[in-house]
Amino acid sequence: MNLTSKPLAAIILIILLGGISLSTAMGWWQTESTKVAATYTEGEFAGQANPADIRGSYTFGDVEKNFGIPAVVLAQAFNIQTENPATFAAKELETIYAESEFEVGTASVRLFVAFYNGLPIDISTDMYLPQNAADLLKNRNLTAEQSAYLESHTVPNPAAASDSPEVDPAQTAESAPEAEATQSAVTTEASTERLVKGKTSFQEILDWGVSQEVIEQIMGMPMPNPLTKVKDYCAEKGLDFETIKAALQIEVDKAGQ
Amino acid sequence: MKLFGKRLFRPRSIWIRKIVQWFFFLLIALISVNHTLVENGGGIPFLSTASLHALCPFGGVVTIYQYATVGTFVQKIHESAFVLMIIGFVLAFLFGPVFCGWVCPLGTVQEWVAKLGHKFFKRKYNHFIPAKLDSVLRYARYIVLAWVVYVTATSGTLIFAEYDPYFALFNFWSTEVAIGGLIILGATLVLSLFIERPWCKYACPYGAVLGITNLFRVFQIKRAESTCKADGACSIMCPMNIAVDTVKTVRDHQCISCLECTSEAICPVAKTVVFTTGAVK
Repeated sequence: MNLTSKPLAAIILIILLGGISLSTAMGWWQTESTKVAATYTEGEFAGQANPADIRGSYTFGDVEKNFGIPAVVLAQAFNIQTENPATFAAKELETIYAESEFEVGTASVRLFVAFYNGLPIDISTDMYLPQNAADLLKNRNLTAEQSAYLESHTVPNPAAASDSPEVDPAQTAESAPEAEATQSAVTTEASTERLVKGKTSFQEILDWGVSQEVIEQIMGMPMPNPLTKVKDYCAEKGLDFETIKAALQIEVDKAGQ
Repeated sequence: MKLFGKRLFRPRSIWIRKIVQWFFFLLIALISVNHTLVENGGGIPFLSTASLHALCPFGGVVTIYQYATVGTFVQKIHESAFVLMIIGFVLAFLFGPVFCGWVCPLGTVQEWVAKLGHKFFKRKYNHFIPAKLDSVLRYARYIVLAWVVYVTATSGTLIFAEYDPYFALFNFWSTEVAIGGLIILGATLVLSLFIERPWCKYACPYGAVLGITNLFRVFQIKRAESTCKADGACSIMCPMNIAVDTVKTVRDHQCISCLECTSEAICPVAKTVVFTTGAVK
Protein backbone atom coordinates (compact mmCIF):
# COMPACT_ATOMS: atom_id res chain seq x y z
CA MET A 1 0.00 0.00 0.00
CA ASN A 2 1.34 3.40 -0.98
CA LEU A 3 0.75 6.51 1.07
CA THR A 4 0.98 10.10 -0.14
CA SER A 5 1.30 13.31 1.81
CA LYS A 6 -2.36 14.27 2.17
CA PRO A 7 -3.59 11.01 3.68
CA LEU A 8 -0.45 10.95 5.84
CA ALA A 9 -1.21 14.47 7.12
CA ALA A 10 -4.77 13.40 7.91
CA ILE A 11 -3.59 10.26 9.70
CA ILE A 12 -1.05 12.19 11.79
CA LEU A 13 -3.72 14.67 12.88
CA ILE A 14 -6.26 11.95 13.59
CA ILE A 15 -3.87 9.82 15.64
CA LEU A 16 -2.42 12.78 17.54
CA LEU A 17 -5.59 14.74 18.24
CA GLY A 18 -7.70 11.58 18.47
CA GLY A 19 -5.25 10.08 20.95
CA ILE A 20 -5.43 13.19 23.11
CA SER A 21 -9.24 13.22 22.94
CA LEU A 22 -9.41 9.54 23.84
CA SER A 23 -7.02 9.93 26.76
CA THR A 24 -9.01 12.95 27.95
CA ALA A 25 -12.20 10.89 27.86
CA MET A 26 -10.46 8.13 29.81
CA GLY A 27 -9.19 10.64 32.38
CA TRP A 28 -5.52 10.05 31.52
CA TRP A 29 -4.82 13.50 30.05
CA GLN A 30 -3.47 15.46 33.02
CA THR A 31 -1.38 18.51 32.20
CA GLU A 32 -0.83 19.57 35.76
CA SER A 33 -0.26 17.94 39.09
CA THR A 34 -3.33 16.35 40.66
CA LYS A 35 -2.04 17.76 43.95
CA VAL A 36 -2.31 14.38 45.60
CA ALA A 37 1.11 13.43 46.89
CA ALA A 38 2.46 9.96 46.15
CA THR A 39 2.66 7.68 49.14
CA TYR A 40 5.54 5.74 50.67
CA THR A 41 5.53 2.33 49.02
CA GLU A 42 7.35 0.40 51.72
CA GLY A 43 8.46 0.44 55.33
CA GLU A 44 6.82 1.71 58.48
CA PHE A 45 5.16 4.63 56.70
CA ALA A 46 3.83 2.73 53.66
CA GLY A 47 0.60 4.25 52.45
CA GLN A 48 1.23 7.68 53.99
CA ALA A 49 1.69 10.76 51.82
CA ASN A 50 5.36 11.31 51.00
CA PRO A 51 6.64 14.90 51.41
CA ALA A 52 9.28 14.22 48.74
CA ASP A 53 6.47 14.42 46.18
CA ILE A 54 5.51 18.01 47.07
CA ARG A 55 5.89 20.06 43.90
CA GLY A 56 6.43 23.73 43.29
CA SER A 57 2.84 24.12 42.14
CA TYR A 58 1.49 22.90 45.50
CA THR A 59 -0.09 25.68 47.50
CA PHE A 60 0.08 25.69 51.29
CA GLY A 61 -3.58 24.67 51.09
CA ASP A 62 -2.60 21.59 49.05
CA VAL A 63 0.07 20.76 51.62
CA GLU A 64 -2.52 21.12 54.38
CA LYS A 65 -4.87 18.71 52.58
CA ASN A 66 -2.14 16.13 52.03
CA PHE A 67 -0.24 16.39 55.31
CA GLY A 68 -2.58 18.02 57.78
CA ILE A 69 -0.29 20.94 58.59
CA PRO A 70 -2.40 24.15 58.70
CA ALA A 71 -1.56 26.62 55.95
CA VAL A 72 -1.22 29.34 58.56
CA VAL A 73 1.55 27.38 60.28
CA LEU A 74 3.35 26.99 56.96
CA ALA A 75 2.98 30.71 56.33
CA GLN A 76 4.42 31.45 59.74
CA ALA A 77 7.29 29.03 59.21
CA PHE A 78 8.26 30.67 55.93
CA ASN A 79 7.42 34.25 56.93
CA ILE A 80 4.71 34.71 54.33
CA GLN A 81 2.54 37.74 54.96
CA THR A 82 -0.75 37.12 53.25
CA GLU A 83 -4.41 37.17 54.13
CA ASN A 84 -4.94 33.80 52.48
CA PRO A 85 -1.94 31.52 53.08
CA ALA A 86 -3.77 28.54 51.53
CA THR A 87 -3.28 30.02 48.04
CA PHE A 88 0.45 30.59 48.39
CA ALA A 89 2.42 28.27 46.03
CA ALA A 90 5.63 26.64 47.27
CA LYS A 91 7.58 27.69 44.17
CA GLU A 92 7.05 31.36 45.07
CA LEU A 93 9.43 30.92 48.01
CA GLU A 94 12.44 31.09 45.70
CA THR A 95 11.47 34.64 44.72
CA ILE A 96 10.87 35.73 48.30
CA TYR A 97 14.18 34.24 49.44
CA ALA A 98 16.10 35.36 46.33
CA GLU A 99 18.54 37.32 48.50
CA SER A 100 19.27 34.39 50.78
CA GLU A 101 22.75 32.89 50.64
CA PHE A 102 21.24 29.41 50.45
CA GLU A 103 18.21 28.38 48.43
CA VAL A 104 14.86 28.28 50.19
CA GLY A 105 12.21 26.80 47.94
CA THR A 106 10.04 23.77 47.35
CA ALA A 107 12.68 21.45 48.83
CA SER A 108 12.50 23.49 52.03
CA VAL A 109 8.76 22.86 52.25
CA ARG A 110 9.38 19.13 51.80
CA LEU A 111 11.94 19.20 54.61
CA PHE A 112 9.70 21.19 56.93
CA VAL A 113 6.72 18.91 56.35
CA ALA A 114 8.79 15.76 56.89
CA PHE A 115 10.36 17.03 60.13
CA TYR A 116 7.07 18.51 61.38
CA ASN A 117 5.18 15.25 60.87
CA GLY A 118 8.06 12.94 61.79
CA LEU A 119 8.23 11.42 58.33
CA PRO A 120 11.40 10.05 56.72
CA ILE A 121 13.15 12.19 54.12
CA ASP A 122 16.50 11.92 52.38
CA ILE A 123 18.77 14.55 53.96
CA SER A 124 21.88 13.63 52.02
CA THR A 125 21.40 16.80 49.98
CA ASP A 126 21.29 20.35 51.27
CA MET A 127 17.89 21.86 52.00
CA TYR A 128 17.57 25.04 54.02
CA LEU A 129 14.88 26.41 56.30
CA PRO A 130 14.35 29.95 57.56
CA GLN A 131 14.84 30.70 61.25
CA ASN A 132 11.08 30.79 61.95
CA ALA A 133 10.63 27.28 60.56
CA ALA A 134 13.56 26.02 62.59
CA ASP A 135 12.07 27.56 65.73
CA LEU A 136 8.75 25.85 65.10
CA LEU A 137 10.47 22.51 64.57
CA LYS A 138 12.37 22.72 67.85
CA ASN A 139 9.13 21.74 69.60
CA ARG A 140 8.72 18.62 67.47
CA ASN A 141 10.25 15.23 68.15
CA LEU A 142 13.39 15.40 66.04
CA THR A 143 16.11 12.79 66.13
CA ALA A 144 19.66 13.87 67.03
CA GLU A 145 20.62 13.59 63.38
CA GLN A 146 17.68 15.75 62.30
CA SER A 147 18.44 18.35 64.96
CA ALA A 148 22.06 18.52 63.86
CA TYR A 149 20.99 18.85 60.23
CA LEU A 150 18.56 21.61 61.12
CA GLU A 151 21.24 23.42 63.11
CA SER A 152 23.53 23.60 60.10
CA HIS A 153 20.81 24.24 57.53
CA THR A 154 19.06 27.29 58.91
CA VAL A 155 19.13 30.67 57.20
CA PRO A 156 18.02 34.04 58.56
CA ASN A 157 14.47 35.14 57.92
CA PRO A 158 14.19 37.48 54.94
CA ALA A 159 14.62 41.14 55.89
CA ALA A 160 11.15 42.12 54.70
CA ALA A 161 9.57 39.62 57.05
CA SER A 162 11.31 40.76 60.21
CA ASP A 163 8.17 42.62 61.29
CA SER A 164 5.85 39.85 60.21
CA PRO A 165 2.49 40.15 61.96
CA GLU A 166 2.12 36.37 61.88
CA VAL A 167 4.78 35.93 64.53
CA ASP A 168 3.85 36.67 68.13
CA PRO A 169 5.53 40.03 68.90
CA ALA A 170 5.97 39.20 72.58
CA GLN A 171 7.69 35.98 71.73
CA THR A 172 9.86 37.76 69.18
CA ALA A 173 10.84 40.41 71.71
CA GLU A 174 11.71 37.83 74.30
CA SER A 175 13.73 35.69 71.98
CA ALA A 176 15.28 38.47 69.92
CA PRO A 177 18.74 38.48 71.50
CA GLU A 178 18.80 34.72 71.55
CA ALA A 179 17.60 34.49 67.93
CA GLU A 180 20.18 37.05 66.89
CA ALA A 181 22.88 35.08 68.62
CA THR A 182 21.70 31.86 67.00
CA GLN A 183 21.62 33.46 63.58
CA SER A 184 25.07 34.86 64.11
CA ALA A 185 26.33 31.47 65.18
CA VAL A 186 24.78 29.80 62.16
CA THR A 187 26.27 32.39 59.82
CA THR A 188 29.68 32.02 61.41
CA GLU A 189 29.46 28.27 61.25
CA ALA A 190 28.43 28.35 57.60
CA SER A 191 31.38 30.52 56.73
CA THR A 192 34.01 28.58 58.68
CA GLU A 193 32.87 24.94 58.43
CA ARG A 194 34.58 22.84 55.84
CA LEU A 195 31.66 20.90 54.47
CA VAL A 196 31.32 20.05 50.79
CA LYS A 197 27.78 21.11 49.88
CA GLY A 198 25.73 21.84 46.81
CA LYS A 199 26.99 25.41 46.71
CA THR A 200 30.66 24.58 47.27
CA SER A 201 32.96 25.70 44.47
CA PHE A 202 36.25 24.12 43.44
CA GLN A 203 37.97 27.29 44.67
CA GLU A 204 36.71 26.66 48.19
CA ILE A 205 38.06 23.12 48.11
CA LEU A 206 41.42 24.41 46.91
CA ASP A 207 41.34 26.98 49.71
CA TRP A 208 40.71 24.18 52.19
CA GLY A 209 44.04 22.63 51.22
CA VAL A 210 43.09 19.97 48.68
CA SER A 211 45.37 20.11 45.65
CA GLN A 212 44.08 20.38 42.10
CA GLU A 213 45.76 17.07 41.31
CA VAL A 214 43.78 15.26 44.02
CA ILE A 215 40.53 16.92 42.88
CA GLU A 216 41.14 15.85 39.30
CA GLN A 217 41.94 12.34 40.45
CA ILE A 218 38.60 12.15 42.25
CA MET A 219 36.67 13.69 39.37
CA GLY A 220 38.47 11.55 36.79
CA MET A 221 38.76 14.58 34.54
CA PRO A 222 40.41 18.00 34.44
CA MET A 223 39.14 20.54 36.94
CA PRO A 224 37.08 23.33 35.36
CA ASN A 225 37.19 27.03 36.22
CA PRO A 226 37.73 27.06 40.04
CA LEU A 227 34.66 29.25 40.50
CA THR A 228 32.43 26.47 39.13
CA LYS A 229 30.25 24.80 41.73
CA VAL A 230 31.10 21.13 42.22
CA LYS A 231 27.45 20.09 42.08
CA ASP A 232 26.82 21.97 38.84
CA TYR A 233 29.90 20.45 37.25
CA CYS A 234 28.88 16.94 38.33
CA ALA A 235 25.41 17.46 36.81
CA GLU A 236 26.97 18.80 33.61
CA LYS A 237 29.35 15.85 33.31
CA GLY A 238 26.84 13.21 34.45
CA LEU A 239 28.81 12.38 37.60
CA ASP A 240 27.15 11.25 40.82
CA PHE A 241 27.48 14.29 43.09
CA GLU A 242 26.98 12.29 46.26
CA THR A 243 29.93 10.00 45.45
CA ILE A 244 32.18 12.90 44.46
CA LYS A 245 31.08 14.92 47.49
CA ALA A 246 31.94 12.09 49.88
CA ALA A 247 35.38 11.57 48.30
CA LEU A 248 36.15 15.29 48.37
CA GLN A 249 34.98 15.58 51.98
CA ILE A 250 37.48 12.88 53.01
CA GLU A 251 40.30 14.86 51.37
CA VAL A 252 39.08 18.11 52.93
CA ASP A 253 39.03 16.46 56.36
CA LYS A 254 42.53 15.07 55.79
CA ALA A 255 43.84 18.48 54.78
CA GLY A 256 42.28 20.07 57.84
CA GLN A 257 43.96 17.72 60.32
CA MET B 1 -2.07 19.63 -11.18
CA LYS B 2 -3.55 17.54 -13.99
CA LEU B 3 -5.40 18.51 -17.22
CA PHE B 4 -6.94 15.82 -19.43
CA GLY B 5 -5.02 13.26 -17.43
CA LYS B 6 -1.66 14.92 -18.06
CA ARG B 7 0.47 16.29 -15.22
CA LEU B 8 1.08 20.00 -15.85
CA PHE B 9 2.66 20.99 -12.61
CA ARG B 10 4.71 18.90 -10.27
CA PRO B 11 5.14 20.32 -6.78
CA ARG B 12 8.73 20.47 -5.61
CA SER B 13 7.75 20.34 -1.99
CA ILE B 14 5.14 18.66 0.21
CA TRP B 15 3.00 21.74 0.87
CA ILE B 16 0.55 19.98 3.17
CA ARG B 17 3.48 19.25 5.50
CA LYS B 18 4.17 22.99 5.78
CA ILE B 19 0.55 23.57 6.77
CA VAL B 20 0.68 20.87 9.43
CA GLN B 21 3.96 22.32 10.74
CA TRP B 22 2.46 25.82 10.90
CA PHE B 23 -0.58 24.45 12.71
CA PHE B 24 1.46 22.81 15.47
CA PHE B 25 3.85 25.73 15.75
CA LEU B 26 0.98 28.19 16.30
CA LEU B 27 -0.83 25.81 18.63
CA ILE B 28 2.19 25.32 20.91
CA ALA B 29 3.10 29.02 20.77
CA LEU B 30 -0.41 30.06 21.77
CA ILE B 31 -0.59 27.53 24.58
CA SER B 32 2.78 28.72 25.93
CA VAL B 33 1.65 32.34 25.84
CA ASN B 34 -1.61 31.35 27.49
CA HIS B 35 0.29 29.54 30.24
CA THR B 36 2.15 32.76 31.03
CA LEU B 37 -1.03 34.84 30.84
CA VAL B 38 -2.84 32.55 33.26
CA GLU B 39 0.02 32.73 35.76
CA ASN B 40 -0.37 36.51 35.61
CA GLY B 41 -4.11 36.48 36.11
CA GLY B 42 -5.21 36.63 32.44
CA GLY B 43 -5.67 33.96 29.78
CA ILE B 44 -7.20 33.10 26.42
CA PRO B 45 -10.57 31.35 26.79
CA PHE B 46 -11.03 27.80 25.42
CA LEU B 47 -7.29 27.30 24.99
CA SER B 48 -5.14 24.91 27.02
CA THR B 49 -3.07 26.45 29.78
CA ALA B 50 -0.66 23.53 30.00
CA SER B 51 3.03 24.09 30.58
CA LEU B 52 5.40 23.13 27.79
CA HIS B 53 6.74 20.25 29.88
CA ALA B 54 3.25 18.76 29.91
CA LEU B 55 3.14 18.85 26.10
CA CYS B 56 6.54 17.37 25.34
CA PRO B 57 6.57 13.65 24.49
CA PHE B 58 10.24 13.43 25.43
CA GLY B 59 9.20 14.19 29.02
CA GLY B 60 7.48 10.81 28.96
CA VAL B 61 10.70 9.11 27.84
CA VAL B 62 12.87 10.61 30.58
CA THR B 63 10.41 9.78 33.33
CA ILE B 64 10.05 6.09 32.41
CA TYR B 65 12.77 5.01 34.83
CA GLN B 66 11.31 6.89 37.81
CA TYR B 67 7.81 5.75 36.95
CA ALA B 68 8.93 2.13 36.78
CA THR B 69 10.96 2.22 39.99
CA VAL B 70 9.12 4.68 42.26
CA GLY B 71 5.72 5.01 40.60
CA THR B 72 5.92 8.79 40.31
CA PHE B 73 6.77 11.22 37.53
CA VAL B 74 9.87 13.39 37.41
CA GLN B 75 9.11 16.87 38.74
CA LYS B 76 7.24 19.04 36.18
CA ILE B 77 6.28 15.99 34.08
CA HIS B 78 2.65 14.92 33.99
CA GLU B 79 0.48 12.14 32.57
CA SER B 80 -0.04 14.08 29.32
CA ALA B 81 3.66 13.73 28.46
CA PHE B 82 3.29 9.98 28.89
CA VAL B 83 0.25 9.93 26.59
CA LEU B 84 2.11 11.96 23.95
CA MET B 85 5.08 9.64 24.21
CA ILE B 86 2.85 6.64 23.45
CA ILE B 87 1.19 8.46 20.53
CA GLY B 88 4.64 9.42 19.23
CA PHE B 89 5.75 5.79 19.37
CA VAL B 90 2.60 4.60 17.56
CA LEU B 91 3.17 7.14 14.78
CA ALA B 92 6.86 6.26 14.57
CA PHE B 93 6.17 2.52 14.46
CA LEU B 94 3.83 3.09 11.51
CA PHE B 95 5.53 5.92 9.62
CA GLY B 96 8.94 6.58 11.20
CA PRO B 97 9.78 9.88 12.93
CA VAL B 98 6.89 11.88 11.43
CA PHE B 99 6.78 13.75 14.72
CA CYS B 100 10.15 15.29 13.79
CA GLY B 101 9.27 16.02 10.16
CA TRP B 102 5.68 17.10 10.52
CA VAL B 103 4.95 18.18 14.10
CA CYS B 104 7.97 19.36 16.10
CA PRO B 105 7.96 23.19 16.16
CA LEU B 106 11.70 23.38 16.76
CA GLY B 107 12.27 21.44 13.52
CA THR B 108 9.87 23.84 11.80
CA VAL B 109 11.77 26.90 12.98
CA GLN B 110 15.05 25.39 11.80
CA GLU B 111 13.49 24.83 8.37
CA TRP B 112 12.40 28.46 8.22
CA VAL B 113 15.95 29.63 8.94
CA ALA B 114 17.21 27.08 6.40
CA LYS B 115 15.34 28.96 3.67
CA LEU B 116 17.67 31.90 4.29
CA GLY B 117 20.66 29.57 4.20
CA HIS B 118 19.52 28.19 0.85
CA LYS B 119 19.31 31.72 -0.51
CA PHE B 120 22.77 32.66 0.74
CA PHE B 121 24.71 29.53 -0.09
CA LYS B 122 22.70 27.89 -2.91
CA ARG B 123 23.96 24.34 -3.52
CA LYS B 124 26.74 24.63 -0.99
CA TYR B 125 24.09 24.88 1.75
CA ASN B 126 23.83 21.84 4.01
CA HIS B 127 27.18 20.52 2.71
CA PHE B 128 29.70 22.38 4.85
CA ILE B 129 30.71 19.51 7.11
CA PRO B 130 32.99 16.83 5.61
CA ALA B 131 31.02 13.64 5.02
CA LYS B 132 33.21 11.44 7.25
CA LEU B 133 33.04 13.80 10.21
CA ASP B 134 29.34 14.31 9.62
CA SER B 135 28.60 10.58 9.67
CA VAL B 136 30.31 10.27 13.08
CA LEU B 137 28.64 13.37 14.52
CA ARG B 138 25.25 11.96 13.61
CA TYR B 139 25.57 9.52 16.52
CA ALA B 140 26.21 12.31 19.05
CA ARG B 141 22.50 12.56 19.73
CA TYR B 142 22.58 9.06 21.23
CA ILE B 143 25.20 10.28 23.70
CA VAL B 144 22.92 13.20 24.54
CA LEU B 145 20.05 10.76 24.98
CA ALA B 146 22.05 8.51 27.33
CA TRP B 147 23.21 11.51 29.36
CA VAL B 148 19.70 12.97 29.70
CA VAL B 149 18.17 9.66 30.75
CA TYR B 150 21.00 9.03 33.24
CA VAL B 151 21.00 12.43 34.95
CA THR B 152 17.20 12.48 35.10
CA ALA B 153 17.10 9.01 36.63
CA THR B 154 19.78 9.78 39.22
CA SER B 155 18.61 13.27 40.15
CA GLY B 156 14.84 12.90 39.80
CA THR B 157 14.72 16.39 38.33
CA LEU B 158 14.36 17.66 34.79
CA ILE B 159 17.95 18.80 34.35
CA PHE B 160 17.60 18.81 30.55
CA ALA B 161 15.19 21.77 30.86
CA GLU B 162 18.25 23.89 31.62
CA TYR B 163 19.62 23.17 28.15
CA ASP B 164 16.50 22.46 26.13
CA PRO B 165 16.23 24.79 23.09
CA TYR B 166 12.61 23.70 22.51
CA PHE B 167 11.64 24.94 25.98
CA ALA B 168 13.66 28.13 25.45
CA LEU B 169 11.96 28.79 22.10
CA PHE B 170 8.52 28.98 23.68
CA ASN B 171 9.53 30.46 27.03
CA PHE B 172 12.20 33.02 26.17
CA TRP B 173 9.95 35.70 27.68
CA SER B 174 9.48 33.94 31.01
CA THR B 175 11.66 33.72 34.10
CA GLU B 176 11.55 29.92 33.87
CA VAL B 177 13.90 29.80 30.90
CA ALA B 178 17.54 28.89 31.60
CA ILE B 179 20.44 30.72 30.04
CA GLY B 180 21.84 27.37 28.81
CA GLY B 181 18.67 26.74 26.82
CA LEU B 182 18.79 30.20 25.26
CA ILE B 183 22.42 29.77 24.25
CA ILE B 184 21.74 26.39 22.65
CA LEU B 185 18.66 27.79 20.90
CA GLY B 186 20.72 30.70 19.55
CA ALA B 187 23.48 28.36 18.39
CA THR B 188 20.91 26.11 16.70
CA LEU B 189 19.36 29.01 14.80
CA VAL B 190 22.74 30.36 13.69
CA LEU B 191 23.89 26.90 12.59
CA SER B 192 20.64 26.48 10.67
CA LEU B 193 21.95 29.13 8.29
CA PHE B 194 24.62 26.63 7.22
CA ILE B 195 23.20 23.21 8.01
CA GLU B 196 19.62 22.02 7.71
CA ARG B 197 18.14 20.96 11.08
CA PRO B 198 21.44 20.93 13.04
CA TRP B 199 19.74 20.21 16.38
CA CYS B 200 17.83 17.27 14.90
CA LYS B 201 20.92 15.83 13.22
CA TYR B 202 23.45 16.07 16.00
CA ALA B 203 21.83 16.63 19.37
CA CYS B 204 18.11 15.91 19.67
CA PRO B 205 17.63 13.04 22.15
CA TYR B 206 13.99 12.52 21.19
CA GLY B 207 14.92 12.32 17.50
CA ALA B 208 17.48 9.70 18.52
CA VAL B 209 14.75 7.57 20.10
CA LEU B 210 12.33 7.92 17.19
CA GLY B 211 15.09 7.46 14.61
CA ILE B 212 15.51 3.84 15.68
CA THR B 213 12.06 3.07 14.28
CA ASN B 214 13.38 3.71 10.75
CA LEU B 215 14.84 0.23 10.97
CA PHE B 216 11.46 -1.46 11.25
CA ARG B 217 8.65 1.05 10.52
CA VAL B 218 5.61 -0.27 8.65
CA PHE B 219 5.63 2.34 5.87
CA GLN B 220 9.06 2.80 4.34
CA ILE B 221 10.53 5.06 1.69
CA LYS B 222 11.50 2.82 -1.21
CA ARG B 223 13.17 3.50 -4.55
CA ALA B 224 12.27 1.55 -7.70
CA GLU B 225 15.61 0.85 -9.36
CA SER B 226 13.93 -0.10 -12.65
CA THR B 227 12.52 3.38 -13.26
CA CYS B 228 15.08 5.48 -11.35
CA LYS B 229 16.97 7.92 -13.58
CA ALA B 230 19.73 8.19 -10.98
CA ASP B 231 19.72 11.98 -11.24
CA GLY B 232 20.30 12.27 -7.49
CA ALA B 233 17.45 14.74 -7.01
CA CYS B 234 16.11 12.79 -4.05
CA SER B 235 19.44 12.91 -2.24
CA ILE B 236 19.97 16.60 -2.97
CA MET B 237 16.51 17.45 -1.62
CA CYS B 238 16.84 15.41 1.58
CA PRO B 239 17.18 17.80 4.53
CA MET B 240 18.98 15.10 6.49
CA ASN B 241 21.55 14.44 3.69
CA ILE B 242 20.50 10.84 3.23
CA ALA B 243 21.76 9.29 -0.03
CA VAL B 244 18.33 8.05 -1.09
CA ASP B 245 19.52 7.35 -4.66
CA THR B 246 21.97 4.69 -3.45
CA VAL B 247 19.56 2.49 -1.52
CA LYS B 248 16.42 0.54 -2.31
CA THR B 249 14.87 1.13 1.12
CA VAL B 250 15.65 4.10 3.35
CA ARG B 251 16.51 2.72 6.79
CA ASP B 252 18.78 5.56 7.85
CA HIS B 253 18.20 6.44 11.52
CA GLN B 254 18.10 10.12 10.55
CA CYS B 255 15.14 9.97 8.13
CA ILE B 256 12.27 12.19 9.34
CA SER B 257 9.64 10.92 6.85
CA CYS B 258 9.15 14.35 5.32
CA LEU B 259 8.47 12.76 1.89
CA GLU B 260 10.42 15.53 0.14
CA CYS B 261 12.44 12.90 -1.75
CA THR B 262 9.43 11.07 -3.15
CA SER B 263 7.87 11.11 -6.61
CA GLU B 264 5.15 13.26 -5.11
CA ALA B 265 7.73 16.04 -4.68
CA ILE B 266 11.25 16.20 -6.11
CA CYS B 267 11.64 12.85 -7.93
CA PRO B 268 10.70 13.51 -11.58
CA VAL B 269 9.59 9.94 -12.32
CA ALA B 270 6.18 8.80 -11.13
CA LYS B 271 6.02 5.94 -8.61
CA THR B 272 9.80 5.69 -8.34
CA VAL B 273 10.45 6.94 -4.80
CA VAL B 274 7.41 6.02 -2.77
CA PHE B 275 6.22 5.71 0.83
CA THR B 276 4.88 2.20 0.93
CA THR B 277 4.40 -1.05 2.77
CA GLY B 278 4.93 -3.15 -0.32
CA ALA B 279 7.87 -4.04 -2.52
CA VAL B 280 9.04 -1.98 -5.51
CA LYS B 281 10.98 -3.14 -8.51
